[in-house]
Amino acid sequence: MMKLTIDYIPLEVKEGTTLMQAAAMAGIKIPSMCYLEELPNHPSCMVCMVKDLSRNRFLPSCSYLAEEGMNILTHSPEIRGFRKEALELLLSDHAGDCDAPCQRSCPASMDIPGMNRLIAAGRFEEALSRIREEIAIPLVLGYICPAPCENACHRSSIDGPVSICLLKRFTAQDKLRRGHNLLPMVGLSGKKVAIVGSGPAGLSAAFYLLRSGHTCVIYDQHLLPGGMLRYKIPENRLPRKALDAEIQCIRQMGAIFTMDHPIDKLVFHQELCRDYDAVILATGNEEKQILEDFGLEVDEHGVKVSLTHFTTSAPRIFACGNMIRKRQMAVRSAAQGKAAAISANHFLMTGKPLGSKHLFNSSFGRLQKEEFEDYLMESGSVKRVEPENGSFGGFTREEAIREAGRCMHCDCRKQVTCKLRQYAGEYGTHQKHFAGPSRKKITKLFRQDLVVYEPEKCIRCGLCVQITQMAGEDLGLTYIGRGFDVRIGIPFHQSFDEALKKTASACVKACPTGALSGKEDPGTDTHGSY
Amino acid sequence: MDKAAINEKVDAIVAKIGATAEAVIPILQDIQQAFNYLPEEALERVCQITAITPAQVAGISTFYSQFRHHSAGKHIIRVCTGTACHVKGSGLVYDAFRREMKLDNNSYTDAVGIFTLEQVACLGCCTLAPVVKIDEVTFGHVQPENVGEILRDFLIREKNIKTRENTSKTASGARQGEIRIGLGSCCVASGSSDVKSELERTLAETRINVEVKQVGCVGICNQVPILEIVKPGENPAFYAHIQPEEVKEVILSHFKPSGQINRLKTKVTGMFEEILVDGAPKSFRKYLTEQRDTPLTRFLGPQVNIATETRGEVKPCDIEAYRQAGGFGALRKSLTAMTPQEVVDEIKKSGLRGRGGAGFPTGNKWQMVKNQSPKEKYIICNGDEGDPGAFMDRMLLESYPFRIIEGMLIAGFATGATHGLFYIRAEYPLAVKRIREALIICEKEGILGKNIMASEFSFDIRIFEGAGAFVCGEETALIASVEGKRGIPSLRPPYPAVKGLHGKPTLINNTETFSLISWIIRHGSDAFSKIGTPGSKGTKVFALAGKINRGGLIEIPMGFTIRKIVEEIGGGIPGDKKFKAVQVGGPSGGCLPASLADLPVDYEALTEAGAMMGSGGLIVLDETDCMVDIAHYFLSFTQNQSCGKCTFCRVGTRRMLDLLEKIRSGLGTPGDLEALEKLAISVRTGSLCGLGKTAPNPVLSTLRYFREEYEEHIHGHCPSGKCLPIVGYQITDACIGCTKCAQRCPSEAIAFKPYEIHTINPEKCIKCDICRQICPVKAVIIR
Repeated sequence: MMKLTIDYIPLEVKEGTTLMQAAAMAGIKIPSMCYLEELPNHPSCMVCMVKDLSRNRFLPSCSYLAEEGMNILTHSPEIRGFRKEALELLLSDHAGDCDAPCQRSCPASMDIPGMNRLIAAGRFEEALSRIREEIAIPLVLGYICPAPCENACHRSSIDGPVSICLLKRFTAQDKLRRGHNLLPMVGLSGKKVAIVGSGPAGLSAAFYLLRSGHTCVIYDQHLLPGGMLRYKIPENRLPRKALDAEIQCIRQMGAIFTMDHPIDKLVFHQELCRDYDAVILATGNEEKQILEDFGLEVDEHGVKVSLTHFTTSAPRIFACGNMIRKRQMAVRSAAQGKAAAISANHFLMTGKPLGSKHLFNSSFGRLQKEEFEDYLMESGSVKRVEPENGSFGGFTREEAIREAGRCMHCDCRKQVTCKLRQYAGEYGTHQKHFAGPSRKKITKLFRQDLVVYEPEKCIRCGLCVQITQMAGEDLGLTYIGRGFDVRIGIPFHQSFDEALKKTASACVKACPTGALSGKEDPGTDTHGSY
Repeated sequence: MDKAAINEKVDAIVAKIGATAEAVIPILQDIQQAFNYLPEEALERVCQITAITPAQVAGISTFYSQFRHHSAGKHIIRVCTGTACHVKGSGLVYDAFRREMKLDNNSYTDAVGIFTLEQVACLGCCTLAPVVKIDEVTFGHVQPENVGEILRDFLIREKNIKTRENTSKTASGARQGEIRIGLGSCCVASGSSDVKSELERTLAETRINVEVKQVGCVGICNQVPILEIVKPGENPAFYAHIQPEEVKEVILSHFKPSGQINRLKTKVTGMFEEILVDGAPKSFRKYLTEQRDTPLTRFLGPQVNIATETRGEVKPCDIEAYRQAGGFGALRKSLTAMTPQEVVDEIKKSGLRGRGGAGFPTGNKWQMVKNQSPKEKYIICNGDEGDPGAFMDRMLLESYPFRIIEGMLIAGFATGATHGLFYIRAEYPLAVKRIREALIICEKEGILGKNIMASEFSFDIRIFEGAGAFVCGEETALIASVEGKRGIPSLRPPYPAVKGLHGKPTLINNTETFSLISWIIRHGSDAFSKIGTPGSKGTKVFALAGKINRGGLIEIPMGFTIRKIVEEIGGGIPGDKKFKAVQVGGPSGGCLPASLADLPVDYEALTEAGAMMGSGGLIVLDETDCMVDIAHYFLSFTQNQSCGKCTFCRVGTRRMLDLLEKIRSGLGTPGDLEALEKLAISVRTGSLCGLGKTAPNPVLSTLRYFREEYEEHIHGHCPSGKCLPIVGYQITDACIGCTKCAQRCPSEAIAFKPYEIHTINPEKCIKCDICRQICPVKAVIIR
């Protein structure tokens, strides 16, 4: 037995205990990527570094054994900075996307690849549910969204982007499907929310608040709901039928529309603030004077809000949409409507608003010509489908399935379990901090229908090499080369199928990043905040 | 070659070496020897008939740079990229070979398959820099403009060797004396083997009876090829820079031919004077030992020879000569008059510290190994001298094989080990040959094997040839490599002294450390500890090279100042240039500015100043050397040699290099130096082994002492004109229109204009430096 302290907690541990194990005894968790208990310790990632104050040195805690008299610190700004650097170095050589570029560029961060895959599989209802995790008015946006996602689509540099917007519209077009799964849950929470404005932000806020079981009353000065969607966008861009259908869904969920009801200073203070547990302002462009009358702080953009919590300067009052920043895309207003709803819901349930969390996102930039082939392996080379009825007419079922199949699965299959992404987020890293002059060429290898290997996501921890070696694979995986250029490869240029005969799933499970993933791994499919 | 033939060859190799997983490196080395690369069929065969797995073969054969996966040309050209060669322009030489061989981007073999071009970390012939080796022939002082000539010369030479007959006639009459000729790698590289053949031919022809003694490295690499003539009743005479065609005259000036009279003495003596006055570098110089102040005495005088005892006097593999000089006395003393603990104590008292770089007290290391209970223990001599710019180990192994063997035997006796191993890097074939020869002799003489010198002590030694990985100088990586693995260092503790080769206690000492042992035992620890400083005892061998008049291998007492080394021994900087800095300790060391020249050679003093003793490379830099370029050079080396395990070393050193590249290209921005410094410190902190921990030293030390030079680069200017991306070549008005540059320009950047001032088209200029070197009036300048 030997005595040491970890984070000033005195401990007594057996000889042969690693610092990480000792820390665990004191309930202290140390991040690590290359460590796996049943395998020989092999410190390489250096994310698990701790500081030994007794000798003023940094040690990899996953493998360094406890010594008598050590005085270990596992967390401090210095250690944090050090781990952050290790992560940023790894990220500088990590050519891969976490979220697909389409999703990253979507203001609502909609799971586009997930939707595409469900459509391609003919699972339209699930596709719609997936969309509605982020977007309350898919049919409307399916007509009017300028689709930044399609600009970002990696396939746009090959043979034109996937028609994401039309696919989204297609999914929400069917009346039966649209109405599905919209059971009224109003009143479950016993809380009441007033929403001022029935444009994309207001409708969206209502949708998510209703789903959380709150009573929603929507106020609007116009006769009919829809705000700018109805009064600014011409019929030939957005058929009113589509708008009405979308509003009908929200009504069906239990929203109460109080139309032709302008909110002035008096109504605001005496009705809304008094009768409701929370108020969400989503009136679009609003005059500064009125906002000040409401008692809200204003800045050059409009109402001053927290851009994470969508709270205003007044308690219980949230704001979103064009009133916080003018001339936004409808999809951004809708996204903010959702974010405000989530924050308000949290406030209603716990007394505290909730900030929207931004997950870390690795990205490699543009897909290069020599990378097309590997990317197309997951989708085939179908040409972009132009709807027979013209783009205003939208896709038929067959066209949708065909077009959705063009999606190349750019999203990482391990984005939920990837330790690199998790720590990169926790440690506030910047991928470009140590960016090199050029990135490596991205490749993808497939082990039949089981495993995908993306070497450029690998952090060279070698867990898979050890696993294949210990399991006695005939071929297995091995390190090829050394130094910066070392990579994990297959001996003798054999196929990936030959390399992992017994250990495919063990390797996938052990891999701390998305370098090795199961072909059918959920990827984005378990993702979603709702 | 068909499959059956390949299999047959592989089977024979495996039968010779063994079929265990551990045998993988020697097997691959032999396969490469047989096929000149590693054919995939051969590797598959290896996996079929041995315990070696495909993963192991793939991992090993791509880790060690010795191995080739593609068929190479008939002859391999190795351009040395060691430090001394680098500062003397080896990069330009390499480029010149590429042009001469018409290689495109990714090819290394010429179209007809005659030559393959490779870069090699260091050939250890630093005093002849830049050095190029084609197969076994070494060319020194290579310049870009004469690479074509070298290739032609090599091919002609090849033909001649095949047709040349051996002339060996027996000499007659009484022995008239002894002629000593150095046959270290450097000597051979500067032509000493030709001198030796000529010598033998002359002796055979003239039937003069003298003994020709091939001695090890004489250390005076700046004067080689060197002949020493020892004649009874005469003071020994040295002939430096001797050429084959001059041999006859020299011999005849000392010895009488038996047979017809053929004396040229008067004529020859007259010629000496001429040459000495003229100072023509191409011809020999004669120095007599009674002369006080010759370059030779100034070079040798201040040195203290312990590791290099009997320098230039003894034939490396002559065991009798070694014995006569007191050899194996220390071993006998240990075996007969001392207990193992007394030996360990003696080493402890001597204050000897490891000469591999870090300076761990040797006695303590021995004690640790001795204290271990397992019966099976190993002694390893670390001869994986990978530092570019260092060749001490090579010289010691080549010249004093018995001394090192004796040191290992004493260590074995003291620590209770029974197996020894020489780990010698692949680039040192002569060292391997000499050690192999010496081991066989020792076995025959009962100095190795069972019951050594009729004692209870038994010990065997084998040789393991490294396969080209600098990181294997790190002891845990070295062990991994001997065990047939990739040379990846592992976390210490456990130290090899506790758990080393095959999990057994293992003592790993540097070659130089072992070569000091016998002297300490013979003369006693006090005699050793009297030499040196309070913290650093004894002597240190340095490879002195770079911008220095008298480079070579020197052994000096610890505590000597850098100034004394550079100015007194080395004779200062050539060509009126200013002494700028010394690079001590190779890629792990640092650059010390001339202002710190009074720093003593001492482990602590060097470390505090930001350098490191390292293994003892000492490269002198003058005002024309760019410190950013030097930092970039060393970091490219370590970056390239990183095993790739730790994040900070694998990616961190690369990102540091990216930053340096940016600065060197004039694209640096003000925050870059701080970013570089911060990352350097993190790499040092976050790497497991010595390679990563010390890789940032060259950057940190140059940032510390030459920061303003970095800043100048950030402003787009390289003060010494070394950073090619930001410099340009120009021709001044001094041009006389001789057209030499235009004729030799390989990229047609200079138009042919007789009697007019020439100009360089910057668009076409590839900055190969040929015009500048060739210009007779120094009209080509770098801006």
